[in-house]
Amino acid sequence: MSRGIAINTAVLALCLAVPVYAHFAGEPFLLTLATRAVILALAAVGLNIALGHGGLISLGHAAFFGIGGYAMGILASHAQTFTPIADWPLLIEGTKSMPVIWLVAMVTSGLAALVIGALSLRTSGVYFIMITLAFGQMLYYFAISWPAYGGEDGLSIYVRNGFPGLNTLVPMQFFALTATVLAAAMALAHVLGRSAFGLALNAARQAPARVEAVGVRPFRLRLTAFVISGMITGLAGALFADLNRFVSPTMFSWQLSGEIMVIVILGGVGRLFGPLAGAALLVTLEHVLGGVSDYWQVYLGALLLGVVLFARGGIIGTLAGRDVAHG
Amino acid sequence: MLLLIEQVLNGLQFGVMLFLMAAGLTLVFGVMGLINLAHGSLYMIGAFAAAAVAGATGSFLLALAASLAAAAAAGALIEVAVIRRLYDRDHLDQVLATFALILIFSEGTRWAFGSFPLYLDIPAWLSGPVSLPGGIEYSRYRLAIIGVGLAVALGLYLLITRTRLGIRIRAGEADREMIAALGIDISRLYTLVFALGAALAGLAGAMVGAIQSVQVGMGEPVLILAFVVIVIGGIGSVKGALVGAILVGLTDTLGGYLLPIAFGQVMEASSATAIGSALASMLIYILMAVVLILRPTGLYGARA
Amino acid sequence: MAEPVLQVQGITRAFGALVASDNVSLDLREGEIHALIGPNGAGKSTLIALISGALAPDAGQIRFNGRDVTALDTVARARLGLGRSFQISAVVPEFTVLQNVVLAAQGAAGHSYRLFRPALKDRSATSSARAQIARVGLEARAAIPAADLAHGERRRLELAMALALKPKAFLLDEPMAGLGADGTAQMTTLLETLKAEAPILLVEHDMDAVFRLADRISVLDYGRIIATGSVEEIRQDPEVRRAYLGADA
Repeated sequence: MSRGIAINTAVLALCLAVPVYAHFAGEPFLLTLATRAVILALAAVGLNIALGHGGLISLGHAAFFGIGGYAMGILASHAQTFTPIADWPLLIEGTKSMPVIWLVAMVTSGLAALVIGALSLRTSGVYFIMITLAFGQMLYYFAISWPAYGGEDGLSIYVRNGFPGLNTLVPMQFFALTATVLAAAMALAHVLGRSAFGLALNAARQAPARVEAVGVRPFRLRLTAFVISGMITGLAGALFADLNRFVSPTMFSWQLSGEIMVIVILGGVGRLFGPLAGAALLVTLEHVLGGVSDYWQVYLGALLLGVVLFARGGIIGTLAGRDVAHG
Repeated sequence: MLLLIEQVLNGLQFGVMLFLMAAGLTLVFGVMGLINLAHGSLYMIGAFAAAAVAGATGSFLLALAASLAAAAAAGALIEVAVIRRLYDRDHLDQVLATFALILIFSEGTRWAFGSFPLYLDIPAWLSGPVSLPGGIEYSRYRLAIIGVGLAVALGLYLLITRTRLGIRIRAGEADREMIAALGIDISRLYTLVFALGAALAGLAGAMVGAIQSVQVGMGEPVLILAFVVIVIGGIGSVKGALVGAILVGLTDTLGGYLLPIAFGQVMEASSATAIGSALASMLIYILMAVVLILRPTGLYGARA
Repeated sequence: MAEPVLQVQGITRAFGALVASDNVSLDLREGEIHALIGPNGAGKSTLIALISGALAPDAGQIRFNGRDVTALDTVARARLGLGRSFQISAVVPEFTVLQNVVLAAQGAAGHSYRLFRPALKDRSATSSARAQIARVGLEARAAIPAADLAHGERRRLELAMALALKPKAFLLDEPMAGLGADGTAQMTTLLETLKAEAPILLVEHDMDAVFRLADRISVLDYGRIIATGSVEEIRQDPEVRRAYLGADA
């Protein structure tokens, strides 16, 4: 595992070096890219809990990403127009405060994950993949056809939301904030993976009959993991919306679900640093190849095909050689 | 009332088109155990091939033939080059590899044809309305789609129950080793089944391409609806795909038509339209959820 | 006399026209090993699945530890104290021996939803797990992934996991399967000490082991119990000889 640790350290160092360079070289665009990578990594940390530890191939995590995004969009748009969200049965006002927005984003995406998970986890295998994909699409169409919050056009937020003690309009400060959130989420994922719950969840992925025989329900373990996973991805959605100061139905799109999954796979399923490595690689590719060709996704497709067919452990797995993931 | 019947026919047409997509997916899953996200790309390829050939020759029938041929060829090609390496892999690998194929096909098509939509015209001999009994006027072309779809359904039924190929397909579903033991060339069978499913998707793309525009990304929304169809009908069952497709087609079309009217009875028109259509957009997924609660393996799926 | 720990009363289960369990009744009493034998296809696997809760019966009742558990599923029966091993080893392949047994111990202790404390720092679970690993003689292999164990070691790990549940009865499905002569001898010794802790319903093909271990034997044929009795009685029973031993001897 020491080689794995060395690679994790290298990934981390690289991911910190870029924003520091961007800051001192005065390249705010690079900092925006780094922030984007960090937020996508956060979404992937969420998915990795369900996928890596629980073996749940959710192709609908954009649902939670989008709900987090709209939680931010709805709260902030009411705050910027000074109109209450509801005045009956009790008065609910909008807000521009990130901690409140994050809480709402996590609670709503967690509730959605509870409903979608409870339905989807009645099945397994291919059914589960197709059903999560379908529920994601349902929210996509709902967001398009619900006119109150911009429908297909989405919602713009004019000023980035605030965080106590920080000036989030300064790119470096917003980057540091998202990076801190990511670090906290990775720490949580690490602790969960080693906990009694993590042990039981990993066992349920490999030998569900055995888990039942020791008196634990795989369904409940998986649902718990799915809800935690959805909450983290929802939080990432709220941050993503804040980065762009814009939300639209594309945050619910199946492509986004695919992208989050690709990040997890490129980095290496079940690996703590996998999402970070995968997101950094994807954003870099997007930027570099996107500069070379308008059709850069052809190359992304070819790369992904190569990883799936020939390098099954993702970047970290391939570099670290054969060592045990899910550690 | 006449409008309602027209909507029922529209729903039927939509359902039949979904069936063409779902049939290939469910066959490929039933026989090879593979989930193929790139099935929507084959639909798109069929539509583009038809639009290109119709543009060059002016013949709609040639265009349809081209859609079948192009999609079948593309299907056979990816089966040989990529898909057959995935049969023994887990579903995650299948999802990712076929997701990668979507990226390659979508961007490749954008590169070849540009980002602007193409249009495929309905030929003169199929355009205009046709009079049905009861004084109903209905699009001749849409009626033709319903006819073609039902004919394909019948053809598939005969193929699976009456022909040697069908026997092999059913044997392959039951047991891969058995079919190999019977001395049947299993990799050729797989390529054939995959190309057949691809051709059906391509045909659907071409026929719909004449009603809507032909553009990159047209396949995936239909693919996801086809997944809903399969979840409702049961994986691997062609009969389930037909019943599920008709159910989804009717639910979606009639929901979009009736819900705003229903809400209009109790609230003012503009918000009735808004709430009605937002709810209608979720209706088929709610249908799917209900089926999941009642029968987790679908209407015609094998029970666990 | 106290009520038996496990009571199966008139259990029937059919698959289409095939009646795999036909009005089966048997019981398991404190302190005994009750062996269940029968030719292949006699319905042993179905009966195990019915008793463990993996299958629901068409008719009949199962009582465990004084309660009717017929309507309960596998998980609920495991929680009540029915510890089982599997015919084909169902240990968690990527986990070490210790992790596997901790999984069972924390399951029994109801700790499986502790989200934050590391599993291997759960003192009560790990110390109980280590004790069971020692009992089956796998101390030296505690850090080895289950996938790398030899077949016989995996059978012992199965047993350690069942032990860690601290069950009120054991349901052991062919624990000797695939073991060599040495392994079978070790397992036999182990099971003899085990029955003092909790009674064992033992499904086993190895007749020597069954005759050595069992206090009572029930013979299953075509889904029905054709005889129940002591080792001697079963040896002498003409119907058993005809249906089962006759084919073997």
